[in-house]
Amino acid sequence: MLSKNVRLWLGLLAVISLLSLASSCSKGGDDEGNDNSGPSEGKPYTAKGNEGTISGVVSYNGAAPENKKIDTSADPACTSKSPDLKTEEWVIKDGKLANTFVYIKDGTLADGSKISTYTFPTPGTAVTLDQNGCHYQPHVSGVMTKQQITIKNSDPTTHNIHFTPKNNPDWNQSQPNGAPTLNHTLNAAEVSPSLVQVKCNQHPWMKSYVGVLKHPFFAVTAEDGSFTIKGVPPGKYTVVAWHEGGATGTEKNMEVTVPASGAGKADFSFGANALGQPGSFQILPAIEIPLTHNH
Amino acid sequence: MSKALHRFALFVACATFFLIIAGANVTSRDAGLSTSDWPKSNGQWFPKMVGNLFWEHGHRMVATAVGVLTILLAVLIQFQERRAWVKRLAWGALGAVIAQGLLGGLTVKLSLPLIVSAAHATLAQLFFLITVSLAVFTSRSWTEAEPGPGTAEGPPLRAMCVLSLAVILTQLVLGATLRHSATWDHDLPVPLLVAHICGAAVVTLVMATTVGFVLLRHRGETYLARPAMIAASVLVVQLALGLAAYITRMRSPYDPQPLNPMIAVTVAHVAGGALVFAATIVLTLRVFSVTRAAEGYRRGLPLPVR
Repeated sequence: MLSKNVRLWLGLLAVISLLSLASSCSKGGDDEGNDNSGPSEGKPYTAKGNEGTISGVVSYNGAAPENKKIDTSADPACTSKSPDLKTEEWVIKDGKLANTFVYIKDGTLADGSKISTYTFPTPGTAVTLDQNGCHYQPHVSGVMTKQQITIKNSDPTTHNIHFTPKNNPDWNQSQPNGAPTLNHTLNAAEVSPSLVQVKCNQHPWMKSYVGVLKHPFFAVTAEDGSFTIKGVPPGKYTVVAWHEGGATGTEKNMEVTVPASGAGKADFSFGANALGQPGSFQILPAIEIPLTHNH
Repeated sequence: MSKALHRFALFVACATFFLIIAGANVTSRDAGLSTSDWPKSNGQWFPKMVGNLFWEHGHRMVATAVGVLTILLAVLIQFQERRAWVKRLAWGALGAVIAQGLLGGLTVKLSLPLIVSAAHATLAQLFFLITVSLAVFTSRSWTEAEPGPGTAEGPPLRAMCVLSLAVILTQLVLGATLRHSATWDHDLPVPLLVAHICGAAVVTLVMATTVGFVLLRHRGETYLARPAMIAASVLVVQLALGLAAYITRMRSPYDPQPLNPMIAVTVAHVAGGALVFAATIVLTLRVFSVTRAAEGYRRGLPLPVR
């Protein structure tokens, strides 16, 4: 039988060991030692030269919601660099919606094979995520699984970059001003019900969304709401447009046919009732109290 | 019995209450991961306290101060106390505060897993229980408690007090789990929310019965009536704060960042829970003190030296 003191010290030792283990797990993680050779399941897709495109425009129906003013007073560096910072949820110009992530969810190629049975090479170029003016640039982006994401801090303050995925491991790293860039990769696809949310706990208004797919058929709408997905094999696809708002965002689906060396069209529209624009306040499921809408 | 020791124990209990408020701020503001390292923040012992780092590192600094105070209290008690069980409890407080610090570090290093964060919040309340108890045990009123006119039927009241403590602690654990299960920008999980609301009803029922018992039997005894009235009053405020916290929290996912009144109300709700717990701890200990004295009195024994 162990004495009380011995048991106490053993308990403390166990907790400290757990801390050390946690520390070693949280260091680097996906930064180091990852195989970046691309998806390993399925057969590699070989371009046939008859690939086409999917393009379209994402519109917003109704009066454009106003983005909310952000209170940056907790960090003077943010206030001086971005004195009029607002949320970037609704970037709408002439009724066209930017920052919508459009991607092929599933589909069948002209030869009858499913697109999900193919593998596509991971791009060698990294996607850059910059913390500039205490907001992320770009606000919405897409990567292929195992594609490198390079994180920069262009601000005169410290940020922490925190990926909060569901299918990939949580990842959080502090990045002081002037620190070298950080690299991160996401190994599992993650687009539904939400893209991977990236946030800064130090400045909790900072949010960015990263769509992760095993194929390269995705795009983010530009300021005029337009997008083009290139190099799409001829076939019939389910195309999804995702826009942030609320807990998981809003998805719109559409069937699109891409002819050989041709173009498929996919125009989407989001409305005033999309998530993130509450017209009522819900008390538990099924009980609703109307609220005045003043933002 | 040293008056200075009691005052110091009271100060440590108050400091612990302040620490709980600091921790509640960290959760409400989603500041827990504003730095990825621990115990340093951004590689520094004294980082620039801007943004949410003010709350996270501030919480660590307050926790360190409470840790030092607890060490001092434990050492002082070893020298000034003659009751061995109080000495052991003081070491227990020190063990709890060390474990609490390590849990805090663990939850940061593991990116706030629900079970570790909820355990951290629960241990905070248990540590508070110990510090409040030490303040009671070192008080003169504890050693000088005498049986009052209404102390004849002891055990049921003791059982009611212990039941009250148990349901309050369960409710605190439910609340901690609810708070840590979703950040400000996500909806609260409905099953946990319903459980916490039901818990509030149970706590209200049990506390109303307990306080009713105390006031019926010990109306004229301030020693027992006062903590009972305080517990009941704070509970009423706490119920109102709970409703307010719920309403503001349900709205918060649509805010661009954690904002007042959600922060203020949810933090006040956590503080209110701790205060109800503290008042009930004092009531329970005093009920045990008085009823034990009454038992000895009935048997014709001299008042026990506690």
